[in-house]
Amino acid sequence: MSNQFDIDNVSKLASIELEETEKNKLSQDLSIILEHVQAISNLEFDISVDEVFIHPLEKQLNLQEDVVEEFLTHEEALSNAPESKDGKFVVPPSME
Amino acid sequence: MRIENKSIREINSLFQKKEIKPSELYKQVFENTAQSESVLHAHLKLFEEDNLNKVKLSDERYIKNKSLGLLDGIPIAIKDNINLKGYETTCSSKMLSNYISPYSATVINKLDEQQVLYTGKTNLDEFAMGSSTENSAYGLTRNPWNTECVPGGSSGGSAASVAARSSIAALGSDTGGSIRQPASFCGLVGFKPTYGTVSRFGLIAFASSLDQIGPITKYVDDTRIIYHSIRGFDPKDATSVSDKPVIIPSNKTAKVGVIKELMEEGVSEDAKNEVEKIIKLLKAQGIEVIEVSLPLIKLAISIYYLIAPAECSANLARFDGVRYGLRADGKTSYEMMERTRAQGFGSEVKRRILLGTYALSAGYFDAYYGKALLARKKMIDEFNQIFKQVDYLISPTTPTQAFKAGEKTSNPLEMYMSDLCTIPANLAGLPSISIPTGLSKEKLPLGVQIISKALTDDSLLDFSEMIEKEVAFKEEPSDWIK
Repeated sequence: MSNQFDIDNVSKLASIELEETEKNKLSQDLSIILEHVQAISNLEFDISVDEVFIHPLEKQLNLQEDVVEEFLTHEEALSNAPESKDGKFVVPPSME
Repeated sequence: MRIENKSIREINSLFQKKEIKPSELYKQVFENTAQSESVLHAHLKLFEEDNLNKVKLSDERYIKNKSLGLLDGIPIAIKDNINLKGYETTCSSKMLSNYISPYSATVINKLDEQQVLYTGKTNLDEFAMGSSTENSAYGLTRNPWNTECVPGGSSGGSAASVAARSSIAALGSDTGGSIRQPASFCGLVGFKPTYGTVSRFGLIAFASSLDQIGPITKYVDDTRIIYHSIRGFDPKDATSVSDKPVIIPSNKTAKVGVIKELMEEGVSEDAKNEVEKIIKLLKAQGIEVIEVSLPLIKLAISIYYLIAPAECSANLARFDGVRYGLRADGKTSYEMMERTRAQGFGSEVKRRILLGTYALSAGYFDAYYGKALLARKKMIDEFNQIFKQVDYLISPTTPTQAFKAGEKTSNPLEMYMSDLCTIPANLAGLPSISIPTGLSKEKLPLGVQIISKALTDDSLLDFSEMIEKEVAFKEEPSDWIK
């Protein structure tokens, strides 16, 4: 497994615009960290990911019934929006 | 003894006997804050004026013998990643500088039942990512024991607030040691409960399978009182557990394991000596202490730095400039999102999001995130096996005493190593506590960590209280407590 970190691709996937100086520093840091965690990727285990619980106490998640409950009002839900209009979030167009 | 140095139970008793009023204690903690805050910067926001009516009502309840519980009128600080309705919750990030919580976290609703007085919101590493509180977009917090040193992190503001007696206790959150490490650096008790016993609803998520809210206090009993007030099943948190607490029969018959891998290279002599000191005390009590080995602990940092960033990259995807927080200009939605995230996140947060994105990306998922999940499962199995032999595990809380500000900021891996001893309990979801045990030659606090089986939190607190009594750590950062 190569530790060559394609910073342009990963920053695109993560939706973070990076400046050139930032790219160099982050690539360097991430290569060092990936080298450290490399030991994990070389290990072999007698179990598969399907057998692993996300909950560390190995419990199923308690999902709620799909029932509408009063929690935030419409106004409260929009209260932190950078821009809203007619009860909706406003965003720039998807395409130029 | 000054009132703010007493335990919550002692303070409550004085309130009940009408020897002191909540308003007098409240005034005292803000007098302490006035002396220290300009140097320490423990808080992002202080609520002194906001609570005046609440304090008056608390005074009246005690006069009428109608107090609402042990925490009625107790001043408590809240880490600024926990939502408190009507107040900013910034997570020490530019991204949330203008965010006002439209609801309160479950832990806040529970503390409200006893009318706790919230003194303020405390500083943290941005989105709780860090071990020194230097990653805050609003400036670092300093350690009350030595202001050249960091208070630890990410709950460094909470620890500094309690150590400087600006609050009687504080809430923090712990993903890889963020309660226990700052508690140790500041001479305090820090407790990470069993995963799922305290609701995470309203805690702004960093790594959901690891995050847990808990108290930072001066005494183990204060931690017990707060833990009992905030724990409980919450349907709003899908990972909340409804299991009954498990009790370890008696301290006298307890068997303790010293974690071999955390007493080796990478851990300072000072930190090891504190553990040796406690082992002697335990043996003098007739408690059997043996050395145990958990080989996968050596990989804990690697496992953690794949799982936590992977979860963080998913959790922080919500900060996109649409529903809340910062929005940068952009001609299209995508350009707006990329620029918002570029301007809103600091470098450590970006580093972890990118690392997590990489570990989850096509072609790398199995080799990194998938393998980390498997290694985590194997580590949990190792803990389960060890707990068939012993009741409690002991180790240093931190590899070193508090380090100087700026000392580790240029090398992220070196900073990550300061969580070497605390990360394993998060990966395994186990209850874990740091208790202060002594001072180093440089007069900085040192602590030991005790870990026990899942759901044995109450027994862990009883056992820790026994150690606390034996150690009788009475030191305090005297510069701020005049």
